[in-house]
Parts: sequence; structure tokens; C-alpha cells
Amino acid sequence: MNGTPLLTTHDLRREFGGVKALDGVSLSVAAGERRAIIGPNGAGKTTLFNILTGELDPTSGSVALAGEDVTRRAPHELARRGVARMYQRNELFEPLAAAENVLLAVGAARGPYRPFTSPQPADRAAARELLARVGIAERADVAARSLSHGERRQLELALALAQRPRLLLLDEPTAGMSPAETARITSLIAALDRSLTVVIVEHDMDVVFRLADRISVLHEGRVLADGTPAEVRGDRTVNEVYLGKVVA
Amino acid sequence: MRRGALIAGAAVAALALVTFPVWTSEWESSRYATTVLRDMLVLAILALSLDLLVGSAGLPSLGHAAFFGAGAYAAAVTMARLGSDELLVGLGAAIVASALLSLVIGLFAVRAAGIFFLMLTLAFAQMVFAVAFQATELTGGSNGLPGVRRPRLLGLDFNAPDALFELVATTFVVVVLLLWRIRTSAYGLALVGVRENERRMRALGYDATRLKLSAFVLAGAIAGVAGALSGWSLRFVSTNDVGIGRSIEAFVSVLIGGTATLLGPAIGAVVVLYVERVLPSSIPFAETVLGLLFIAFVVAARQGIVGVARAAYARARPAPARAS
Amino acid sequence: MTVEVAIQQALNGISFGALLFILAAGLSLIFGMMDVINLAHGAFYMLGAYIALAAVQRTGNFWLALVLAPLLVGALGLVIEPLLLRRLRGRHLDQVLLTIGISLVIVDLVGLVAGREIRSIPFPEGLDRSVPIIGGDYPVYRLFVIAFGILLAALFAFIHRRSRLGALIRAGVDDAPMLAALGVDIDRVFATTFAAGAALAAIAGVIAAPVFGVFPGMDVDALIYSLIVVVVGGLGTLSGAIAGGALVGPADTFGKVLFPQFALALIFAIVAFVLLLRPTGLLGRVRIAR
Repeated sequence: MNGTPLLTTHDLRREFGGVKALDGVSLSVAAGERRAIIGPNGAGKTTLFNILTGELDPTSGSVALAGEDVTRRAPHELARRGVARMYQRNELFEPLAAAENVLLAVGAARGPYRPFTSPQPADRAAARELLARVGIAERADVAARSLSHGERRQLELALALAQRPRLLLLDEPTAGMSPAETARITSLIAALDRSLTVVIVEHDMDVVFRLADRISVLHEGRVLADGTPAEVRGDRTVNEVYLGKVVA
Repeated sequence: MRRGALIAGAAVAALALVTFPVWTSEWESSRYATTVLRDMLVLAILALSLDLLVGSAGLPSLGHAAFFGAGAYAAAVTMARLGSDELLVGLGAAIVASALLSLVIGLFAVRAAGIFFLMLTLAFAQMVFAVAFQATELTGGSNGLPGVRRPRLLGLDFNAPDALFELVATTFVVVVLLLWRIRTSAYGLALVGVRENERRMRALGYDATRLKLSAFVLAGAIAGVAGALSGWSLRFVSTNDVGIGRSIEAFVSVLIGGTATLLGPAIGAVVVLYVERVLPSSIPFAETVLGLLFIAFVVAARQGIVGVARAAYARARPAPARAS
Repeated sequence: MTVEVAIQQALNGISFGALLFILAAGLSLIFGMMDVINLAHGAFYMLGAYIALAAVQRTGNFWLALVLAPLLVGALGLVIEPLLLRRLRGRHLDQVLLTIGISLVIVDLVGLVAGREIRSIPFPEGLDRSVPIIGGDYPVYRLFVIAFGILLAALFAFIHRRSRLGALIRAGVDDAPMLAALGVDIDRVFATTFAAGAALAAIAGVIAAPVFGVFPGMDVDALIYSLIVVVVGGLGTLSGAIAGGALVGPADTFGKVLFPQFALALIFAIVAFVLLLRPTGLLGRVRIAR
């Protein structure tokens, strides 16, 4: 974990008609790091993610990926540069089978302009492998909309992993999950290779403290605290504002 | 083995279709039937091309006739001006004209979605109509271009009605094969992805706009081929070929037959033309029937004839839940 | 172009603009409330004109026709919405397709019943003269059209701002599901809206008839023009329909006079570019399109 950080944001600001969603966010995430971003609702976490994936442009400030300025790049350009996202509200291809969902993700790297060739067998195999990895291999031929909520989250994760990213953005991965499902997804994420950098937005503090190397606390569009879990736990402002003085 | 039977069956059907005039020559109304079927196939090609947009990519275009008409005019005018009867010249001109036009229009249109896309395509098609209407020396204006010459290919002359039918039918079979290949390809899957969740496609790394544009141009080019065939069939090209009525005809065919299916649009075209051509000999209110039919399908059978048939088939033999 | 001719054309443009406003108001209303582009709008316009034709032929009374046509067409709308459109609630694209089917039926039936020749309605008595205006005599009827348009706009503005109906419409334009949640009978509101939109189209048909005539194919012309006005001026708002009419009326009139070859294409080019730059039109609100 040395050299240029994989992801840096510099004084990111974003306004929506007078409302400051992001009010100067500067972060630096090293390659291979597990960074958690926490904060109350409305703190700007989703806005931050939307800017990082290119779906939104900041009002000012910049984003750099491995040293390259990617501030105003389109989503597909960021994906090509190795940014993948697991959405908070699933973005799946509902009527398609789980395997086909992942196949689309796997096939993206090849470029789609092959109107006369069927999807490659290698891609199909890779898709099945990914389904197995996230634990829904036996549901490969079931339509996405017919899967259970937990399975859909697993599929959502599979889509992100299928892109073979170097930066994985997880937007509340355990939202709406049972304890067993939460445990499984957390193990999956913990087991990810360190060649992958992970930034995770979470409300579940157990998950955060289990996975994170460093935590950034966002509040009203600004970074309130930034450090190791121990440092953040002990930070007085964080405790007052967010953790609710529960942790000693 | 079922697959082999399917392929064999399809081949037989295709052969039967192309040789239709031959094995029906003893029928009393053989000539009439051949003509109607020919026109059904032309509309079918147009509808199939439209479904590449509507069904595969999720782009509801109400201005598809613009490319049909462009192809028709281009083929007729080019062959007349060059004094050529060559099939490839006419087809080439049709494809180039319709592809170029769809590229230009598509560059604007694909930036919009849903109802806005519908209105944009409508607006652009009306523009093309207006131009065709005004450019009298080129297009004949409201009078149209009569006396369109039928083409030749090497030794084959397509002047005779049967020969022309075979040309149309063969083209239809080729188009169906082409679209089948596209639909089952990685590209076809990508189009479906754009239809189902464009946001996710972009996040995965696909340039969704470019995908949509490519589908738009491909669909436009095939529509242009249909237009050329129409001009040769009727020996006449007019602003009707470019008007809103033709666009609606194609859309109605797609919906009634079944969108996002391989043969649905073709089946829809058969129904539409049956109502428009054959029915009027018995009743005077054919368009009303068509309108009512369309309404019925939109309200009660949105998946079209093919969709309804599939659902009935699935109900008849219960199977484990599989993805569509 | 001389000053006299220019003034005449300007008045023509304003008169046409007023007519376009009347025509587009119904389309805008339906879109604003229901998120549906009523592609049968032209058919309702045509139906109104033909009903007026029949009424005038039978009674010789233009004003009766002006009342009768919107009543009958509005009633038709009142039947169509609950019978058909309501089943597709929430499926906006399918509702648009449905209106295409409705248009096909209405247009064909009108053609069957009334025949395919070009007809026209005579100017109503009292409005069939010309008055001297700078540069020559100008038909009173066209001034009547302008006045009618202004009156209608004022009426709408009043309803919009002052009455409970207007508050309802403003609320509906912003959030129909919320209205339903608050206990407003959404079904009745939608049915009435659709009927009103259809009636407005019919009124436009009657008013336009003495000037533009009554003929097959008039539905397409009307639909295209109303789409242009609504798109350019702003989808779903009253001021949008006014702005659209005010812009397109004179533009079309002067265009046809100055460069007749390209006038039509020019108008459509304006449409396309406005749609691209501001999908909601010049004065429209932000709508989520499906």
C-alpha cells in the first residue's frame, strides 16, 4: 500500500438548487485499502458515489483515479477504467436470467459490436463461476425478478465483480438483509483479493468495523473524521454527531 | 434432435414461401394472392426492422417510414437517373440513403427516451415528409414517381410478377435469418440490456448511446431495403411511403404480432394487410376494424399474437419456472 | 413586402397563433394532468369540425354548432377514458398507443359517414364582413378568432388561479398519486380532464372550419401542429400553449409567405432543436418521461 493512492477526491462540491449535498469532500484511498464511508442519511454518501461513477458531475472539485483526472468522465468510461458499483437499490436486468445478467457484465470488456457471434463460451463459463462465487449457482436460470431479496443482492454483487474492477464501490451492500445473509456477504467481501480496492457505504456498524481498514465519516456534505476504526471510535465529534455516544 | 427438426421445418417453410406462386398457380385467385402476399412480406420486412428498435432496444419509433421512403425514392431515382436496371445498384442506393438518413436523425433521436423519443421520431419523419412533398423535381411531390422500373440481377429479370415475388420472398427470408442471428448474438443481448436497464449498462462499461444509434441505423437500413422492394412492387413511389400512415402501419404490425419476437412483426404485417386489403372487398370500414383490433391488443393482449400463443402453450404444459 | 401586406400577414399570424393556442390547450391539459400524449387529438378536432358541419347544414346556426360539437366530443372523451385509458393507468407509453387506435377508428368512421370531399362552413352571420384596417380590409372573422383565443386564455387563467378546480389541476400536474392518496377521486378528475381536452379540440375544429375547411386528412395536420406548439412552448402548461401559439403562428405564416419551399421543414427543425435542448419546451415544467 504505497505509491499513488488509487482514488483521490479534492474538495468535491455539489449543489442541487441551493442545497449543498457535498461541501468540500477530500478523500484519499490507497490501492488495496478497505475504506468505509459512514454518516447519517442526507450526509452526501450517495451523491459522492454518483460522482465517483460518473453519473453526476460535481459543481467543483476533482476526482482522480490512479493519478488520472476523471472528474467529468461518463459512466461507461469510468467502468472501462476499472470502477464498478454495487447499487443500493438493485439495478438488475429483471426479465433476464441471473446467468444472463452476469453474462452482460462479463461481455462488456469485449465490446459489444459483434452482431453475428453468440456470446463466447468462455464468458458463459465465467458468468457461472461468478454466480457460484457469490453463492447463487443453482439459481442461474431463474429470472432476476423472481429471485429473493438476498439473492438479488448477491446477483448485484456478482455484476460488480464481473467487471474485474480495481475499485469496487459498495453502496449499502447489506441493506434489507437477514443476519445470515449479512454474514455471508460480509465474508465474501472480506475474502476479496487485495488487488481490489473497496470503498463501502454502510449503516451496519458491525460490518463496518469488521471490514474497514479506515473509516471516513461524512456529515452534511463534509468529512467529519477520517482514520482507523479505533481513531474514529474515539473521536468526540463523531460520537456526538453520529455514533450517539454509545461507544466508549 | 428437436433443434434439427426445427431447422428442417424452417427450411421447408422458407422454400414453400419463396415458391408460393409456383405451387398456387392453379388457384383461381393465384395472381391476387401472390400480390397480396408480396405486399405483406414487404410490410413484414419493415415491421421486423422496426422491432429491432421497439422490441430489442426498447426505442418506440413512430417515424420509421422516413427510412422506408428514403430507400424507395433512392432506389427508384438512382436507377432512373443512371439508366441502370441493376438490382445491386438500386439496393445499394436504398441502403446508403436510408442508413445515412437514420444516422443523421439517430444522432439526435437516441438522446431522448420513451415518449420524448416517440415525439422526436415523429417530428423528424414529418420533416422528411415535408421535404419529399416539396422537392418535386426529385420526388414528384404529391404526385409521386410513377413508372418505376423493376431490376435485374445478372441473368435474372424481375419484371414478371412471379419473379418479383420470389425476390421479395427471398429478401424476407434473408432478413429473418439476419435478425435471428442478431437477436441471439452478444450484440442482441446488449440491446436487450439497454432496453431493460440503460443505467446499469453504462455502469458496466457499455456506451449505451452508441449501441442505440447502431441499432437505429441498422433498422433504418433494413427499412430502406423494404422501401426499394415496395417501389419495385408497386412500380410507384409516393409521399405515402414516407408518411405517418406508413409508420403507424408498421408499428401496429409489430404490436399486434408481438414485439421482441422473431416472427411476431411478420405475423402482424399479415394481419394488418389482410384487414387493409382483403377485408375491404366485404366491408367498407376496414380501418375501423384495424383500429379496434389495435386497441384490443394494446389493452388486453399487449404481448401480441405470439405472446398470447406462447402463454397458452406454457399453460398447456406446465414446466419448472424458467427465465424468459 | 409592403407595410400594408406586413400588417395583414402579422394579423394572420396572430390569428393563426390564437387558433393554435385553442387547439393545443387541450393537448397540453391532458399531458399536464395525465402524462399522456393524446395522439387522437387531431381526430377529436376533425370530429368537432364535422359535427359542426352537420349542425350548420341542418340549422344554419354556427353558434349552436360551437356549443354542440364540444359537448358531443367531450361526452365521447368521458366514455373513452374510463372504458379504455383507465385500464392502462401507469403505462404511459401504452396509453399513447391506445390513442393511436382511437384515432384510426374515429377518422375512418367520420370519413365513411361524411364522405371524402372537401367541405367548408360559411362564416357566421355578422362575422362575414371585412373591416378597414391599415392597409386594406381585413376579415372580421379572423379578428373574432383572436378575441376568442384571448377570452379562452383569460378563462383558463382565472380557473387555474382562483378556483378549486384550478388548485386541483395544479396539484394534479405536480403529483397525481399524492392527490389520490389525499382522497381526491382521481378517476373522476382524469375522466373529466380527458373529456375537457377532447372538447377543446372540438372547439378548435369548429372555429377553424370556416377558414381552413373540413376534409379528410385534417386530423393529421391538426395533430402535427398541436404537437409542435406544445413541444415548442412547453409541455403541460397553459403559458406554454400560449407561448407556443404565439411563436409558431407568426413563424408559420411568415415562413409560408417569405420562403414557401422550406417553411414546413423549418418549423420541424425548430421542434427538433427545442426538444433536444430543452425537452420540456421553452416554458414547460420538468417532467419525468417514461
